[in-house]
Amino acid sequence: MAMNAKPEVLVETDWVKANLGKPGIKLVEIDVDTKAYDAGHIPGAVGFNWQTQLQDQVRRDVLSKEAFESLMGGAGISPGDAVVVYGDHNNWFAAYGFWLFKVYGHKDVRLMNGGRIKWLNEKDKPLVTEVPPVTPAKYEVTTVHLNLRALLPQVVDAQKRGWNLVDVRSPDEFTGKVIAPPGMTETAQRGGHIPGAKSIPWNMAVNADGTFKSADELRQIYFEQRGVNSAKHTIAYCRIGERSSHTWFVLKYLLGLSNVKNYDGSWTEYGSVIGVPIEKG
Amino acid sequence: MDHRARVYDNVFEMLPSEENPTPLVRINRLNQASAFPLYAKLEWMNPFGSVKDRAAWAMLRDLEERGEIGGPRGIVEPTSGNTGISLAAMARARGYHMRAVVPNRVPLEKKVLLKIAGADLDVVSDELCPAPGLGEGSINLAKTHAKASSHKYAMPNQYENEKNVEAHFRTTGPEIWKQTGGRITHLFLSLGTCGTVTGTSRFLRSKKPGLKVIAVQPTEGHDVPGLRNVAQLSVSTLFDRSLVDDILEVDYYLAYTRALDLCQNEGLLAGPSSGLILEGALQIVARDREGFGVMIFPDNIFKYTSSMVKHIPGLAAGTSA
Repeated sequence: MAMNAKPEVLVETDWVKANLGKPGIKLVEIDVDTKAYDAGHIPGAVGFNWQTQLQDQVRRDVLSKEAFESLMGGAGISPGDAVVVYGDHNNWFAAYGFWLFKVYGHKDVRLMNGGRIKWLNEKDKPLVTEVPPVTPAKYEVTTVHLNLRALLPQVVDAQKRGWNLVDVRSPDEFTGKVIAPPGMTETAQRGGHIPGAKSIPWNMAVNADGTFKSADELRQIYFEQRGVNSAKHTIAYCRIGERSSHTWFVLKYLLGLSNVKNYDGSWTEYGSVIGVPIEKG
Repeated sequence: MDHRARVYDNVFEMLPSEENPTPLVRINRLNQASAFPLYAKLEWMNPFGSVKDRAAWAMLRDLEERGEIGGPRGIVEPTSGNTGISLAAMARARGYHMRAVVPNRVPLEKKVLLKIAGADLDVVSDELCPAPGLGEGSINLAKTHAKASSHKYAMPNQYENEKNVEAHFRTTGPEIWKQTGGRITHLFLSLGTCGTVTGTSRFLRSKKPGLKVIAVQPTEGHDVPGLRNVAQLSVSTLFDRSLVDDILEVDYYLAYTRALDLCQNEGLLAGPSSGLILEGALQIVARDREGFGVMIFPDNIFKYTSSMVKHIPGLAAGTSA
């Protein structure tokens, strides 16, 4: 069986348990449900709130370089630390956090395979409610990898260049039957998808226990069944950029595609822009 | 206890049993097939208002007997409402605290009822593009509380607790057998945790192996609280497919219109899941032509006025001056 392209970025729950409390290893929980961390988390983990800490609070954007430095420093994370991120909903926002760490050049970031649900369902894995004491650290971003991020002009341009556009939303969002999953506050003016995009829902990449499928299975799904051309550049998108971070991780780190971007503006931006082409159905 | 006088020392004595069953009432206007009478078992006549009293009581007593609750340790449970209402009211009446973790789609009436019954409430978004097999947000958050704060919470876990099945094996099944004098040929119910179907069917099949068990399911994308369609059943470990002859999928809109039919034609103020079951039962009456059917009606309409208005907007017409 083939290995993941970059196996070092994916750690198992047993590895995390064996390394709890070790210096130089920092755990970060990032959840869709912002109540989950307070209800219980892995001992020693800090919690980031995707709504208030990973977004610019004034304009629509990811947090700035300065805000990222401040967030890291406040969480006691140094540039040389190995950071393990995990979260609920199959690591959706954990993957988004992973992507942000990479955008701001953090060298050693890893994702815990299966996320918090796998940890929760394993009897030997403890959860605590205590927030760990943190010694503030100095964190300086030295390189910013904007090539990991797609902005709207590139998404429009990608259609002309024939890049892979991977829509990871549910089939009903792809066809335009719904604009967003029920109850979501972030939505768009139109339903549908970016012309030429392939529908590959994010959950095709995971097993029933929340872990990622094997590299062989993933190759079969993305390249053979759904026609992602590994020779071309790729942009993944969803509704607000978290589910697409999950697929971005799969394409870049498990399948080893060299040029993959996450379009964090995603459908809430594209589906609201005046004049851009949209396909339905 | 003398159930004829209906004088009790406490509310728990009212819980159903073979000697004190919930009523069976015949459907008259909506089913006129004389060769296939249908009876509704009115589970809202349970003291806390729904079929879930049975499982809630069995699970709570089990925790008490095993010394799992008491003092600072109460309970936490994921619930779409009915189990939580029963558990909260029972727990508070016995001096325990209760935290209910509830999917956001649950109607406001049920959320408020949970608070009225004395539960602390956690509301979670459950329908967020879920992955198959992973369970639901409410179940996971309740498990998190139970694991991270085990000094504060025990989790009955109605989706995996065999006491849920046992309660129906011990009460619902024997009640129906006695009430019908063994004449029952078809049992109609819906699937949620699957405690009702597994426990009741297991008992009745032990008495009558040829009994037909028909589960009625809402179509995918439904919003009928407490019910699951087949695609959603993996969250429960209590489902035994070998006990079910047919799984009928019924357009979930019919849950609401059939509930209205029951209210307006039979005098049975039944909730949407009962409406769904009636529709499924009528389909089987047309198919099998002869039989003796019992439908388990889980709860009444009072908790669902906002759901009814959502699906039958005409109900709101003329309600303001």
